Amino acid sequence: MTAIFEAFRFKQKDTFMHGLDPRTTFFMAVSFSIIGMLFLQIIPLLLVFLSMIPFILLARSTRQWFKSLRGLAYLAGFILIINSFFISFSFAISTVLRLVVLMTAFSLFFLTVHPDDFALALIKMHIPYEFAFAFSMAVRYVPTIATETETIRDAQMSRGLELERGNVIQKVRNYIPILIPIIVSSIRRALQVAESLESRAFGSTATRTSLYDLKLRKSDYGMMLVAAVALAFALYVAFVVRIQFPYLLPDWFFWGFPF
Amino acid sequence: MFEYESGHPVLRGLNVELEPGQVVGLMGENGAGKTTLVKQINGLLKPTTGAVYVDGVDTRETSTAQLAKKVGFVFQNADHQLFADSLHAEVAFALRNLDFSKEEIDDRVARYLELFELTRYKDQSPFLLSGGERKRLALASVLCVEPKILILDEPTQAQDALQKEKLLKFMDSFRDPEHILVLVTHDVEFAIKAVDRLLVLSQGQLIADGSPHQILSNPRILDRARLLPPQLTQFAHKLAEQFPEFPLNVATVSEAVEAVNQLIRSQR
Repeated sequence: MTAIFEAFRFKQKDTFMHGLDPRTTFFMAVSFSIIGMLFLQIIPLLLVFLSMIPFILLARSTRQWFKSLRGLAYLAGFILIINSFFISFSFAISTVLRLVVLMTAFSLFFLTVHPDDFALALIKMHIPYEFAFAFSMAVRYVPTIATETETIRDAQMSRGLELERGNVIQKVRNYIPILIPIIVSSIRRALQVAESLESRAFGSTATRTSLYDLKLRKSDYGMMLVAAVALAFALYVAFVVRIQFPYLLPDWFFWGFPF
Repeated sequence: MFEYESGHPVLRGLNVELEPGQVVGLMGENGAGKTTLVKQINGLLKPTTGAVYVDGVDTRETSTAQLAKKVGFVFQNADHQLFADSLHAEVAFALRNLDFSKEEIDDRVARYLELFELTRYKDQSPFLLSGGERKRLALASVLCVEPKILILDEPTQAQDALQKEKLLKFMDSFRDPEHILVLVTHDVEFAIKAVDRLLVLSQGQLIADGSPHQILSNPRILDRARLLPPQLTQFAHKLAEQFPEFPLNVATVSEAVEAVNQLIRSQR
């Protein structure tokens, strides 16, 4: 259940991807996501997916990323069954592919960007400090809550809770004893964090300086250019070629299962 | 009753048998594998190699929910298990999961709320209770199942002296030929008073197993497990520097008084 969080757990590594500016990685993740949202055909989505793999390899995070995909398997299976049943198998496959693309794009971002650098990047993008801080805190606490969720699940299982017991409605209800302690302890923690922030004079000065500064380097401009070109090309294909000159697109573009 | 032979990579080469009638302490440095070991007892973790038997049942062939009838586990932080909208429902949770009859549930809930002095709050939300009360409620909600084996993970953390005293009394009441109580703790002063047998883990290996008195006055073991000896043992060691005949294995107040009396008599 918590394996999915692995995809967002930052690990410090010395790789090309980790060395990029957070704004670059953010731009790449957003571009990939937009491209993924533009198409709902199997082959184009597969191409988008394949084009992301080199970046995962560059970030040397294959194992973590793979773990997160495994965490996604349950949801993917659900989508696959529901969509094949109500629409078509091809549609189901492409929806799952789209989900995988989105997941990969953002896990690439969260795996290679330190939460603090991310906050810094948001401030550089003229987002008010309080919001940037809240966002980076949210990211920072994901692994903490994931660990806590495991402890809570263990505690309730020790009291005889069986998650797999009963019909569908009962199965959902089985999660209540896990969800409530997570919410309660998160609220308790939020209050504690707020108090400790205030006691360390959070927000006492209007203008803040930061210890580290972010600078875009040549590699950043290079990667952004690549992402921008890819995005422009995808937008062109999706909105110009596909609508006005669909006959220009090769047959494989629309390939799908006949069911 | 409980055997453990090497397991999770965190734990290596362990072979322990716990007998009914014992209060067993489990100590060791942070990350030594204490929690990993106790989670093996109720099947939350299963050994990778070797086996764990609880009351003759192999944990690999049963589920945590099934073991919950025999093994009660009170976690460190009560907030990790309280969720119901009343104390009554909270205590009844485990009983319902284990398919007890309605009359039996009502009877046990009433008895255990009374035992932990919580009856007057029975229709309140658990979240309105104080920290100490929440801890007691967590204990009641596990004990109501009347497990043969009870595991307490750091029960003395953030408890005042009075609560510790009460806990000690409760633990004494659990010391009978039917039950096993496992206490995971860093609190040497509490352990020396509470346990009959002490296991010390260090880096996943059992480095000591025996009477708490002997172990907690053995500087080599204490050092490896990053524990400080009980204050009275430290006191005895200091005194022994001046008076070599002073016994070193002093750990409780009455022992210290006895030893000091003897010393005074011998000095006259």
